[in-house]
Order: sequence, then structure tokens, then C-alpha cells
Amino acid sequence: MKLTRREVLKSAAAASAFMALNGTLPDLAGAAPGEPDKWVKAVCRFCGTGCGVMIGVKNGKVVTVKGDPNNHNQGFICLKGAELPSIVNATKSRVTRPYIRKNGQLEPASWDEAMDLVVSKFKAAIKEHGPTSVAYYGSGQALTEESYLANKIWKAGLRCNNVEGNPRLCMASAVGGYYTSFGKDEPIGCYDDIDAATCFFIIGANMSECHPILFKRVAARKQADPNVKIIVVDPRKTNTARIADIHVSFKPGTDLAILNAMAYVIIDEELDNPRFYNKYVNFMTNDKKKVDFKAYQKFLQDYTPEKAEKISGVPADTIRKIAKIFAESSATMSLWTMGLNQRIRGVWANNLTTNLHLLTGHLGKPGATNFSLTGQPNACGGVRDTGSLCHLLPAGRMIKKAKDRAALEKQWGLKPGTIAPKPGLHTIALWNAFSEGKIKAMFVLCTNPAQSLPNVNMYTEGMKRKDNFMVLSEPFMDAETVKYCDVLLPAAFWCEKRGVYGCTERRYSLLMQAIDPIGECRPDVDILLDFAKRMGVDPKVIPFKNVDDIWDEWREVSSATPYNFKGMTRARQEKESGIRWPCPTEDHPGTCHRYVRGEDPNIPKDYKNKMWFYGTKDGKARLWMRPYAPAAEEPDAKYPMVLTTGRVIDHWHTGTMTMKSPVLRRSFPNAYVEVNIDDAKKHGIKNGDNVLLETRRDKMIFQAKVSDVCRPGLVFVPWFDKNLIINKLTLNAFDKGSKQPEYKICAVRIKKA
Amino acid sequence: MISSTRRENMVPAKTGWIILVVISLVLWVSFSWAGQIKHLVAPDSAADCYACHKKATPIIAENWYESKHGVILVKCFVCHGQPDGQGSVPWAVSPDPRIVCTKCHDPAIKRMKAKFGLAPKCYTCHPFHQNSLHHRAYSKSQSKK
Repeated sequence: MKLTRREVLKSAAAASAFMALNGTLPDLAGAAPGEPDKWVKAVCRFCGTGCGVMIGVKNGKVVTVKGDPNNHNQGFICLKGAELPSIVNATKSRVTRPYIRKNGQLEPASWDEAMDLVVSKFKAAIKEHGPTSVAYYGSGQALTEESYLANKIWKAGLRCNNVEGNPRLCMASAVGGYYTSFGKDEPIGCYDDIDAATCFFIIGANMSECHPILFKRVAARKQADPNVKIIVVDPRKTNTARIADIHVSFKPGTDLAILNAMAYVIIDEELDNPRFYNKYVNFMTNDKKKVDFKAYQKFLQDYTPEKAEKISGVPADTIRKIAKIFAESSATMSLWTMGLNQRIRGVWANNLTTNLHLLTGHLGKPGATNFSLTGQPNACGGVRDTGSLCHLLPAGRMIKKAKDRAALEKQWGLKPGTIAPKPGLHTIALWNAFSEGKIKAMFVLCTNPAQSLPNVNMYTEGMKRKDNFMVLSEPFMDAETVKYCDVLLPAAFWCEKRGVYGCTERRYSLLMQAIDPIGECRPDVDILLDFAKRMGVDPKVIPFKNVDDIWDEWREVSSATPYNFKGMTRARQEKESGIRWPCPTEDHPGTCHRYVRGEDPNIPKDYKNKMWFYGTKDGKARLWMRPYAPAAEEPDAKYPMVLTTGRVIDHWHTGTMTMKSPVLRRSFPNAYVEVNIDDAKKHGIKNGDNVLLETRRDKMIFQAKVSDVCRPGLVFVPWFDKNLIINKLTLNAFDKGSKQPEYKICAVRIKKA
Repeated sequence: MISSTRRENMVPAKTGWIILVVISLVLWVSFSWAGQIKHLVAPDSAADCYACHKKATPIIAENWYESKHGVILVKCFVCHGQPDGQGSVPWAVSPDPRIVCTKCHDPAIKRMKAKFGLAPKCYTCHPFHQNSLHHRAYSKSQSKK
């Protein structure tokens, strides 16, 4: 073959342009620069989605991360997950040795000095004031084994039920919702339902920024079938609303009225499913009386779409439209998170969302489920399931029930009556008591309460007291709570230890240790075992030598309950990328839909009905008549607007991790206030102006982002920034049932600063 | 087929390929040089690429925004790194697929390899953020009609 000069030139130009377009990089066939020596299986450190990740390790250092193809996320990770290596490698910010506060300053100490001091303070408090004068405040980010161990040390070893944790601040209302509706906590369905749903009802959740990989899955479902409907109900028009067919903005707090009005429409339009609710549902009044369907219809007369419009500001026709879409779909999946949970009516809001499923029968079949999303990687598996809250015992048992205490005492080999019958103090009551000097010694582990508690000034003042004692186990030196602790213990971080995370869909995945802890850091399991030993806790109660022993006991404990995950042996966990409970035997594949015959191993295969809500005495779910009630602090003439708080995709919780990544920090270096265009005009505020926010608790200046994301009358501030702690302004009023605080609504006034 | 009237302009194939390679290399070097773009120094907000790029390179920014990566907020820095090299992937206009794409798309790459084989670069067939890849699935959704 021969070529003309013209052809040579043309070919050369085309080839060069092609190369330029594709860059100068080596292609996919070769090895990547810095290819890891090994890949270690784990779960992402951030949100409750619980994505599987593979950690790339080279020469003992974490060099990269990629999605685990065998976990539910099918290899995908979000932008925070991709930044995990830069956070692991931020070793200069780490606590690498113990410290003791002396004359107001944290001074280096040995492990023995630090632990001796901790134990002397706890022993003195118990001796002088009894076991209820000490407490444990844990985390939905601690490993399951850590929470299980702490729970057992306190409740069985020290006979103290003051065991709480930050999940009280994030999903206690979801626990209350599931428990009151079904008699058992935790979702019925799983992530697979996303692939089968034909309607998504997303309420009080900004999935796009808070659960990006699940949002991706919803978006992919919509892309695969454009006829899939997505309804987003949120007072902010977030990025989640980009894929919505209908975005419903409403006056904050009035979703209770909207949900009841949807139920009214569903019945009025004859879109309800009597075959389902007549068989499986009890109708309950707010004061726990069983009534009939007619009484429910009468209750709903107060929530006609027109009446709900007056309360919520949502046009009656829109309410009719979304109710019809919800009911007429072949499989509706509702998804919610903090927008419903962080409210003084959080349990009610959960119940009212579930009501729509009970009324329409959108439950227990692929794609049809009521699915609460959780915020932390191990709030479900670690804290909810192990019962590491003041009113719970492991596997859904309750402290106040003598039968539950006795059953656990038997399993734990304790003398009858060892577990104190009175529940401990819930988070807000606990921190109130600590601030008043009534709780004398507190063990805080893997959480940052000096930034995350609501109305936080109250509690940081309490932390400054001289007559109480706080030991903090924390990986990062710049965490806000470090400023206030009396002893600081260097905790091993995420991939420096081994243990289980349990995500939103009841999936337990093992995180394998990828690298050694740095400096003198220890895994929290080791710290807690050391604490128990020094406290003189009976070695028969805490017989564990390592983290795997704890897991084996916890599996055994679960086997006597409907949580039963005895089949999740360590060997199996090392091989597989997460299994969903119930999973009673080693050959059981795990469970997608609970309460469904043929899927849930707790239901006999020949059970007479398709579903059995075995958490309740009569096997029926409960539809609750929860009325609309206003927020704890509604706007008024003095404070005419509503302040709400939340996340941005780039940051997670108090920013102790994400602010270590240069790109995430630069993406949002500071908190800001999001103001609606109309409100900005009214107050003479332009984009970038300083704005003073003032609530009844405190005031603070933020830079304005003017947009149409917030509805008029609402402002939003993200809570990651330790230099602009928005929780100084938020309210600590809480739900009477779940004890979860109302972070999402408080009254505020704004002006240009 | 080469016509006889152009025979006098013909060069032997071997020489042709050498010329082709030399010219390619020259152009490649110059394009690569041009690829080392100067970037504004914006230390406090360097990762909010979209805010500036929707003004500076509006078509590229809009393409990203409308793409699947844009919808699910896989932001610029995830694949392109940071101008000052502070990102967790190298700063590159054309990211190294082995470092970047494999973070999420490793399973798809393996499936592709097994079924059809691989092109050297993912974006030969899947331009990173172009509408053609994702067809504006959401804004054109039939369910909105």
C-alpha cells in the first residue's frame, strides 16, 4: 500500500488530534502508577448507605480506594468515599498518644496514667453516687463490636443503663416509627426495592447529597424506565428534586397534615386496598385505642386537601395528584431521613408515612416498601441492633420489660436481676444531667458532642465544670470536644482496626484491618476491654480476648430473637461483602423482605397468610391516627423565619474527617446561609453578603448564598463547620416518644450584617 | 485505490509511516504542552470548579451539569484532581482511566473487556461528560409530559 503526501498529512493530523483529545496517558491495558500491593475489603466510613470499598495498600500505606463490586453499591463510590485515602493519611492531625488535662491544658501521658485516672474517677463516682452517676455516650460510627461491648460493660458489668449515643440525634424517631407500627425496629425492605419500584416518595430527605449512591440507584431506575414517578417533598428544592416529576414545597413542620390529607384522598378516590388492611392492619387512635376503619375516616375529615392546603401552603390539587400517584403505582417505595426524624413529632411523621403503605398495601413485595434511610455507617447495626441506647437491650429487647431482661440475663449468664429495671437517661437528659454535675463521669467514644448537640452552648458550658469528668476516645486532635475533655485517648481510625458495620438495609459487612494503628493508637475494643478489666468487671461477664470473640457472642445472642444472624460467621463475612439479617444458618442467603412468607426465615413456610407482623401480639401492623401539631418553636413576630440545618455532599457530620481532604475542604471551606431570592430582596441581601442569624439561643454571622433552593421564610445552614457551629442556634426540644431533638425547625430572624 | 494521475506525488509506505509518526509526535508534544493549562489561583474555593467554569467554559460546564455525573454530583475534582496537585488524583485534563475511572467503573470495565475487549481509553467511546452519553434522561423524561 502506498499513500499520497496529502493522505500522510491528513492521517498524521487526525492521529495527533485524537491523541491530544485523549491525553498523553497510558491506556487501560497497563498497570496504574502506584498500583497497590493488596486490596483490603471494608465499608465506607461516611453515611448510612454503607457502600463496600476496597482499600488499596502499598508499603503499609493507604494509596487508593475503589468501590467493592460485590457489595450492594456494585463498585460505585461517591466523592467523599473517593477521598478516604487523603483522610486516612492526614496523620499530622491525629491524636497519637494519651493526654490528661492539667491546669486547663492537655498534657501527654502514658496509657497507664490515663487509664488509671479514668478508672479512679469512674470508681469514685460509683462509690459515692451509685452506678447511675456514670455514663457512656457512643456513636453510630463505632464498630458493632465496640458498641455491643460498651453496652455490656455498662448494663451488665457496672449495672448502669446510662448508655446512649449520637444515633439518638439522628434516627431515634425512625426506631419509634417502626416499633410503634410493626412492633420491631428496622426496615422491612432493602435496597433491591429501588430497582423494582415504579414510584418513589422521597420526603424529608436530600438523598442526592446525603446518600449519593442510593440517589444514583434511584436515578438509574428512572433512566431505565422514564415512566417511573419520583415525588420529592421538601421545603428546600435540593439537587434531589432535579430528578423529580413533582417537587412539593411546604411550610416546615406541616408534612403531618399533608400525609393525612394524602390518606384522605386515597380513601376518597377509592385507591385504598381493603384486602390488605382488613387482614393485616389495626387502626389505632393517638391514645392507643383500637378502632375501626370508619373512625379513621372520621379522623381524616380534618385533613381534606383544602384544609391541609391552609395548614401547609401546598395546593389541594397537588396533594390530590401525589396521593393518586402514590396509590396508583404498581410498587411505591417511600424514603425518608432527618427531615422526618429530627422533629418533636418525628415518630408521628414516621407513622403517617407508613400509614400510606398500610392503606394501599404497598408493602412486602418487590419495590413496595417504607424505607427509612439512616445517617451514620453503623447506627443501625451498631447501636439500634445491639440496643446501645438507654431504654434498649440487644436485638430489640426493652429494659422496661422484665421478660426481656430475664431472657438476656440468661443468655449473658448473669444472676437474675443484674440488669437494672429502670431505663437510663436519654441523650438530652444525660447531657443536661452532666451539665448540672449530676452525672459525674462520662465515657465519650467516636463522636463529637461539643459540635453536634443541639443548643450546644448549654452543654459546652457544662463540659467546662470542674466537678464532672469526661474521657474522650477520638482519632482527631482538632475535634471540638477535645477542647473540653479531661482525658483524651488516641483511638485507632477506621481501616486501622477490624469489625462490623451494619447499614440501613440490615446488611452487616466486615471491615478488614488494612494498616496498623499509628503512634500509640488502639482500637476502641482494646480500650474498652482495658477499661472493664481495670474497673474490676467480672471476667465471666467480659470474657473476650479480641474483637472476633465479641462478634461470636453477639451472633449467639441474636439467635434467640427474630434478628437471628447466627449464620454470619467470621469466615463467611471475610468471604462475602455483606449479608442482610435475618440469616439464621451458614447456608442462608440473608433476607430482603421481612414479614413475608417465603422470604423471612422467622415465618413458617406453610404459614396461612402471605405476611405476618410477628412483632405485635396479634400479628397485625398498626395504622396510627396522628394529628397535625405545630413545631416546638414556630416563627413569630420577633423571630419570623425558620432555620433548618443539614449536610452538603462534600462534608460529613462535624467535618473532623472531610475537612482533612484538601478538595472537600476547598469545596466548602465555611458554612454559609442559604436565603431565598425574595427574602434576600426584602432584607437587602446580595449573594456573598454577611448575614446575621439570631435565634433565642445565640447569634452568628454567615455568608449568604442567595438562591431558590429554600422556600421563602426558610433559611438553611450546613452544620459541618467547627468555626461556625450552627448548633449554638438550634433548639434542644425533643420528641416525647423518641427523645430525638428538633434540629430541623426553630425560629430565626435575619438581617444584613 | 490511488488514481494514476496522482502517482507522481506518491511516497513509499515506509517513508509515509515515518513522516506520519514524526508529525504526530511534533503535534502531540505541542498539544500536550498546550494541555498544561494555566489555572487561576483560587486557594479557598479551588474545588468549586463549576462556579467559575460555568462562566469560563460554559459548554463544558453545562455538559457536565446535564450528564449523569452532574446529576449525581460527581464533581470535577473527583476525576480531574486539583490545579495545585492537592487532589487525591493527579491534576489532568484527560484523567488516567486506570486511576480515576476504575474507582467506580472497574466492574463495568471488566465486563466490557470480557465481552468486547477494551479501547485504550474509556472516553474514546464514552466522552466523560457529554449529553450524548446520558441523553438528558431527566430533563426529557416522558413522565413529565
